[in-house]
Amino acid sequence: MAGKLEGKIALITGAAQGIGLAVATRYAAEGATVVLSDIDGDAVQAAAEGIGGSASAMTADVTSEEQVAALVGEVVAQHGGLDIAVANAGIATVQPAVGMSLADWRKVTSVNLDGVFLTLTHAAGAMAASGGGALVTIASVTAQAGSPLISSYAAAKAGAVNLTRTIAIEMRDHGVRANAICPGFIDTELVKPHKKTFADALGLEAMGIPDFDAFIAMKQGRYGTEEEVAALATFLASDRAGFCTAGEYNLDGGLRASLL
Amino acid sequence: MSDLELEGRRAHVTGAASGIGWAIAQRLAAGGARVAISDVDEEGAKARAAELGSGHVGLGCDVRSMSEVSAAIDATVDAFGGLDLLVNNAGVEIGKPMVDTEEDEFMTLMDINVNGVYRASRAATAALAAAAAAGSDSAIVNIASVAGVGGCPLLSAYCASKAAVIRFSEVCAIELREAGVRVNAVCPAFIDTPMVQRLAPAVAAMTGMEFGDVVAVKQGRYGTLEEVAEVVAFLGSSEAAWTTGSHYVLDGGISGGLL
Ligand SMILES: NC(=O)c1ccc[n+]([C@@H]2O[C@H](COP(=O)([O-])OP(=O)(O)OC[C@H]3O[C@@H](n4cnc5c(N)ncnc54)[C@H](O)[C@@H]3O)[C@@H](O)[C@H]2O)c1
Ligand SMILES: NC(=O)c1ccc[n+]([C@@H]2O[C@H](COP(=O)([O-])OP(=O)(O)OC[C@H]3O[C@@H](n4cnc5c(N)ncnc54)[C@H](O)[C@@H]3O)[C@@H](O)[C@H]2O)c1
Repeated sequence: MAGKLEGKIALITGAAQGIGLAVATRYAAEGATVVLSDIDGDAVQAAAEGIGGSASAMTADVTSEEQVAALVGEVVAQHGGLDIAVANAGIATVQPAVGMSLADWRKVTSVNLDGVFLTLTHAAGAMAASGGGALVTIASVTAQAGSPLISSYAAAKAGAVNLTRTIAIEMRDHGVRANAICPGFIDTELVKPHKKTFADALGLEAMGIPDFDAFIAMKQGRYGTEEEVAALATFLASDRAGFCTAGEYNLDGGLRASLL
Repeated sequence: MSDLELEGRRAHVTGAASGIGWAIAQRLAAGGARVAISDVDEEGAKARAAELGSGHVGLGCDVRSMSEVSAAIDATVDAFGGLDLLVNNAGVEIGKPMVDTEEDEFMTLMDINVNGVYRASRAATAALAAAAAAGSDSAIVNIASVAGVGGCPLLSAYCASKAAVIRFSEVCAIELREAGVRVNAVCPAFIDTPMVQRLAPAVAAMTGMEFGDVVAVKQGRYGTLEEVAEVVAFLGSSEAAWTTGSHYVLDGGISGGLL
């Protein structure tokens, strides 16, 4: 059976582990030629080898304009074009907004907003040159609501969603679609280290909720999986989603839908 | 097309004798689902079901009537032995200024577009929950519209009805989460159907532009029936197993852009 992304060239940033790796794995299974990129060169090399086939790895820090430009240029040079780019690389720090230093703020926004800008703008340019393509930004539901302790993360995600929409409108006539995926909490390395901090700050114990995992079960049914994000990222990157652009696609077990 | 995720699903689509609903029914059937097509146009529904071939059913059902809706859902469950997916698609439009919209017109639209979604959702919940308990990824997909996301002159009742469908979907999603039933809405922009052709002259007159130009400027082109059906097929399948309480737009950017 033909894959949903047969013959497409896809670039995924932050693909050494977690969601990015799951997206790359699914894209490869759907017939795409995938280039995994990450700031961690050894890890991304191992990840690409794990996928096998035509998957390859390139090291790049998405906060560096020079490196992102070189990355996109290299993908086009090696594969003759670029059809899909997933701006996935992201980090999080957990601390209250009040009292945060500008340096700490920028640590996160440089990856989660500047990095998305660099990825989308360079990828869109390459796509336009070869007749179009699909951009997918891995944002977050935190883009849509006040998110205590992760102000820099949430603000950058909101910026990334809006940037994705704007690029979609600017590039519509060039055949480039751009959409943002807004997942709820997935149990990856991004989340695991911070569960206790969140539980304490939210006062879960006083509410009779044993821990953050139990809180998540209440709010979004369960943790989502990396593979579920990958399924949506596959749909949006595929020609099946040809009329989807400038959209924001939640995937959160109902987290955002409820006020309670 | 790889459709393992639709194979064997038991689906009911309301208002499926024409337009988007018919495209959804065809897409689900092509993916291996068994489809009950219902419509106020009973003859149309039966003819469409026959077109899909054996294993599918056509039913007369006016979504303004709770008893007709319940009977249509029951008939689906009887025919297929259960229900995994309900697509609430039946809908109508009014294209005129609010001050010219008569109360009975407004109420009829709400009765179909909003109350109809409630009726079918309520009637189908027990069967969907039973399927979920037996291991199925049960889902309701409500066809809302970008008109529920942003305002559109001449469509006061329609916009209000579609915004209501989006919010209704969110609440159902939360309430039915533990029962394993997902609920989402789909928001298409202008698709070239009889509905849009009926609206075109009034919109053109109001904007002073050719309707085709309005479409080209705001959303690039018309969306296609097949594109709507693809989003419904995605949300209605286990590919979207963690998506609930969301509304997915497919609109060429009309709701995502400001100017
Ligand atoms: N886990 C969640 O709950 C969740 C929810 C919503 C959105 N997201 C988003 O999904 C994306 C992936 O997150 P994850 O959960 O897989 O996290 P992760 O920490 O497991 O993976 C992130 C990857 O990005 C890479 N990376 C970090 N900084 C980079 C840089 N400057 N340049 C290139 N690569 C860099 C890391 O090396 C790592 O491989 C992020 O954008 C994250 O914000 C995650
Ligand atoms: N066409 C568009 O551009 C567009 C855009 C966004 C959303 N939608 C929505 O998509 C859905 C389908 O619209 P369409 O464009 O295919 O319209 P359509 O007029 O082609 O089809 C609507 C179908 O619903 C049936 N119907 C009407 N009243 C009914 C009732 N009381 N009970 C049962 N069935 C009834 C009609 O008989 C018809 O078969 C509607 O909910 C509409 O609001 C359409």
